[in-house]
Amino acid sequence: MISAPARTGWYVYGVVGESAAASAETQAMTRSGVGSHGVRVIRAGNLAALASEVPLDDFGDDVLPERLNDPDWLERNARAHDDVLEAVLDDASVVPFRFGTIYLDRSEVGTMLDDRRDELERALERIEGRVELGVKAFADRSRVEESLRNRSGDDAGDEGGGAGTAYLLRRQRERRLEAEAEALSTEIVARAHEALRSVADAARVNRPQPPELSGRSDRMLLNASYLVARGDGRLSAEVRRLADEHRDHGITFEVTGPWPAYNFVGAEEPE
Amino acid sequence: MSVIEPRPRPLEEQITLIELVDRVLNAGVVVHGDITLAVADVDLVYVGLRVLLASASTLDRLAATGDSK
Repeated sequence: MISAPARTGWYVYGVVGESAAASAETQAMTRSGVGSHGVRVIRAGNLAALASEVPLDDFGDDVLPERLNDPDWLERNARAHDDVLEAVLDDASVVPFRFGTIYLDRSEVGTMLDDRRDELERALERIEGRVELGVKAFADRSRVEESLRNRSGDDAGDEGGGAGTAYLLRRQRERRLEAEAEALSTEIVARAHEALRSVADAARVNRPQPPELSGRSDRMLLNASYLVARGDGRLSAEVRRLADEHRDHGITFEVTGPWPAYNFVGAEEPE
Repeated sequence: MSVIEPRPRPLEEQITLIELVDRVLNAGVVVHGDITLAVADVDLVYVGLRVLLASASTLDRLAATGDSK
């Protein structure tokens, strides 16, 4: 088979500042990124991009959407993207780029750094010395209702009257309980978010994931990210406290991270 | 290299896949390169993700009942 030289592009993971470029280079050289390709540091002025040269057979715009729909491919490469950023996270602040940002020529990466310098510098400044923590809260509906029943001493006792009346009363009670459970969960989560925000430098609330995505039956009520100083344990401690406080209410909390500050580098101002 | 915070790993590794994909594909700086993912492409991802969840949700339930820190 006659093969033309494989066309390649430059996949960009993110950007670090000048002071971090050297250590990023050391870190980057020792590991591989998407598609197991080596990671390079491309400098332009006081900024440096972490990038890999990738074959367009795998990352071209004609094949990328299809690749994304392959769960194994997606998992491998999403992890690789994150791993490259996390490798430098202990030593430096890094502005994460969205997955799948590719330039056809290495020099265009430098041009991009020059063109977006102001925006990238502002983002670096905002996240300097900080990391992102993710917090999710879930409500177990039946346990929330149970906690309300315990609280009010509301036993499903005999109401008297005929069978029809009893049924109606029971339905009424159930509906009231559902509404109260909803209100209680919402209130707990809103207060939790305020408490967490008070120990963070910035917060961002994302849409809760639907059950088919979160993969669990408990309903997700909070899907938030918080920007905290690296090594600051206050937010994790607060999540543990909230989890203890609300365990009996059927509300569970989960914290993940530290992550690169994915949610705090976008164009739109975080909450 | 200094160790700053312990990173959560093995069990959470699986569980946080959705979290990870949510960040890697839905957050981060959007720069229009020669090739950039469109929103429609990202929507496709969620279809694919449901396949992954079959295994991830099992671990998720395990973690939810365990003493998660």
